[in-house]
Amino acid sequence: MLLEQKLIEDILDAALETGADFSEVYIEDHQASFLQSVSGRLEKSNNTKSFGVGIRVAKKFQSVYGYTNSKNPEDLIKLAKDLSKSFHDDQLTKRTPLMELEVGKRHLAKIKPSEVALSDKVKLQKTAYKHASEYDPVIKQVICSLVDDEKEVLIANSEGRFVTETRVKVRLMISAVAADKGMMQTGSDGDGSGKGYEFLFEEMDIPAAAKSASRIAKTMLYADDCPSGVMPVVIHNAFGGVIFHEACGHSLEATSVAKNASVFCNKLGTKVASDIVTALDDGTIENAWGSANYDDEGYPQQRRVLIEKGILKSYMIDKINARRMKMEPTGSSRRQNYKFSPTSRMSNTFIDNGTSTVEEIIANTKFGLFAKKLGGGSVNPGNGDFNFSVMEGYMIRDGKIAEPVKGAALVGNGAEILHKIDMIANNLTCQRGMCGSASGSIPADVGQPTIRVQEITVGGRKKGA
Amino acid sequence: MNLDKLFKRAKEKGIQDLEIFSSARSSLSIEIFDGEVDKYEIADTNALTIKGIYNNKMGHFRTEVLDDEVIDVILDTIIASAKEIDSLDDAIIYEGDEHYELLTDIYNEELYNLDVQKKINHLLALDKYLHEYDKRVSVVETMYSENNNAVVLKNSKGINLSNKANSAYIGGNVIVKDETDQRVGFDVVISNDFNDFDIEKVGKEIIDDALASLGAKPVPSDNYEIVFSNGAIATLLSAFQGVFSADAVQKGLSLLKGKIGEKIGSELVTIVDDPFMKKSASSRSFDDEGVATSYKELVSKGQLKTFLHNLVTAKKDGVKSTGNGFGGNVGAVNLKMEAGEHSLDEIIKSCTKAIYITNVQGAHAGVNAVSGDFSLQSSGYYIENGVIVKPVALITVAGNFLEMLKDICMVGSDIKMSYYGVTSPSIKVKSMTVSGS
Repeated sequence: MLLEQKLIEDILDAALETGADFSEVYIEDHQASFLQSVSGRLEKSNNTKSFGVGIRVAKKFQSVYGYTNSKNPEDLIKLAKDLSKSFHDDQLTKRTPLMELEVGKRHLAKIKPSEVALSDKVKLQKTAYKHASEYDPVIKQVICSLVDDEKEVLIANSEGRFVTETRVKVRLMISAVAADKGMMQTGSDGDGSGKGYEFLFEEMDIPAAAKSASRIAKTMLYADDCPSGVMPVVIHNAFGGVIFHEACGHSLEATSVAKNASVFCNKLGTKVASDIVTALDDGTIENAWGSANYDDEGYPQQRRVLIEKGILKSYMIDKINARRMKMEPTGSSRRQNYKFSPTSRMSNTFIDNGTSTVEEIIANTKFGLFAKKLGGGSVNPGNGDFNFSVMEGYMIRDGKIAEPVKGAALVGNGAEILHKIDMIANNLTCQRGMCGSASGSIPADVGQPTIRVQEITVGGRKKGA
Repeated sequence: MNLDKLFKRAKEKGIQDLEIFSSARSSLSIEIFDGEVDKYEIADTNALTIKGIYNNKMGHFRTEVLDDEVIDVILDTIIASAKEIDSLDDAIIYEGDEHYELLTDIYNEELYNLDVQKKINHLLALDKYLHEYDKRVSVVETMYSENNNAVVLKNSKGINLSNKANSAYIGGNVIVKDETDQRVGFDVVISNDFNDFDIEKVGKEIIDDALASLGAKPVPSDNYEIVFSNGAIATLLSAFQGVFSADAVQKGLSLLKGKIGEKIGSELVTIVDDPFMKKSASSRSFDDEGVATSYKELVSKGQLKTFLHNLVTAKKDGVKSTGNGFGGNVGAVNLKMEAGEHSLDEIIKSCTKAIYITNVQGAHAGVNAVSGDFSLQSSGYYIENGVIVKPVALITVAGNFLEMLKDICMVGSDIKMSYYGVTSPSIKVKSMTVSGS
């Protein structure tokens, strides 16, 4: 137990003394390591150990949050009392006795980071370095980052909810720099998992990821600047799903919907996308990057159908925003760590398979951009305007993939673009991402099959398409 | 944690030198949504970052668990790490400088002691101001955030330094709507002096741009003169600030490699790192490695003068550290582009066919710090013959960082610290590629 149950109960009680109707304790014991090698030599081995307690107290829509890394009972009770000072009534709510739910049993890690020798972790990086650097003489620099993260969490609240689980994440990223004739370009690839080191030792094809990083860097080095203008864009599968994540996912989070700050407000049951679009946010996929047994309010994670055949079916809702929206929470509340109050966030979000093939989509596009690999992006949930960068792109000419182009950015509006998806392939794949928003930076999978969008504004350095 | 015990155990285990960076942070943040306190957050955290040299290699450990029981775990992990590290970099723990600047305006006791209710009331007043400002205001969210940070650096070579700073910001998000369009506005004012939080001033900054941009549409794709507002260019500078790091240069990851002494920007461009900037919570008299910080010109009238160094990069280049070793990396303390002589109004009047960009998005993804290329979603206004004609949105502005610095042809006098901690005036660039309709 991360803290004595009696102390947890005392904190929950102290927080309710001035009329709040909900109190919650989140306890986290966390260790992580970050290894970075440059040119095959280990340069950084940073290790972190943290422990902290977050206390949340709410009354109707109003919630207050405090955190500390003290374990001292007096400090914790004082924090609860300080927070409760935001409310000014007599005690109104009585706490329900804690009822422990089954300890999270899914998404378990076989080999925990703490059980792996540092030298074995270093070997993984050396393998990646070897394959990336030997790919081509233009590869001048390779940086490998290995991150592992092990977290034990306990969540208890005044409604009797009481859960614990251990969460493990591992990730290896390779970044290659290609340079020639005074020009420089980078490429990156890698993979991660909600499993333990068994993923990196046994499952991940590290040489392939390393070569892919170098291949992108080299291809982009000799690529021409992308032309600018409005054109059809074919977005490839896997990380291409960041388009849905940015363009629509964020606007379906209760964080914006509850405050009437999303373009999707009051749109449940209406058509928000073309008929071929079905999209999900599924936090239950076994050992996926964004999965967990429970969300960070202690509700079981769920599989949420967001859009079904073009019709908006569900938002992603946390407890407090659920009150504002007069709806049920959807198990979507997440946070980076105890330093953040939880709120509605995505987990593993993707567009579902369609019926076309990639070949058909390319062959049916006379002219456009093939965005094979996307970088990151962002969205303004207030109006749905989004942008993302293309890491690896090619022009499509006469139904064939033609020359590589660099420096492309895609901009558009989330609500509009969903209607413009006119072809979806059958090659759904997800990929790892880190999503930054109100409650910090959290692991989230993005994914999709290859899709075609009839038109998007493509920003590039070359004038005219 | 008993630090004497930590130093003693380290010595017993064969750790040659040890350094401890302790940081104690307390914070307060409040958000108001539609006239009510929607978020109220208080926090108190302590952390130690411990570095130790073993076999001439450096191991690191950061801990928030401060019991004496973790001392052995920390030291053993440091030793295990040092054993695996095969980087050729030197491991250096610093003996200290003769002189450290005395900073006086970076901690304001009054701000810390000011009654929380007064802070809430001020925020409520901003909320009210925004709601009543215009009929088209539909959603208002205002926020106040305050940080107090005390750091102590101690090492086995005798350094014992401390620094205390605080800072706050007040600001807001608004959504404005008319029959056909919906736009957002956001801004903050950063200071550690509560008197700087003028409601009318910050309110206008938040909302005027949002209202004026209602009905914004893309412009035709073409080359335009570009005016960046102080906030927009600060976002771009912030995304590119890594190019000044000697670490990036040495690893071949900066486009400024080999360019010291060269002209990389127009005469009008002077970029400095000012670690002594008043009212900035980032201001420091020493860096995380104990080196005295200093004011320096990175780019002086267009000429690249120096990179930013920590102990390791400085040793590699045979120079003295510039006091920019932070968090295990190299970084500027307070990056600032120096002001020019033109008012924003004069800059706008000088344009024939231009886009005045007030907002850029996605800078974390849309810039390539290695090649200098960027392509960013932007919004602002179309200027024709010196007059703002109409709002513009959903365009991208693409260019190259160095080409842009060379093409800067006017610099404003309207200097401001942005949300990203970078201070800048508005600037005008001769020509850039815009993609729109």
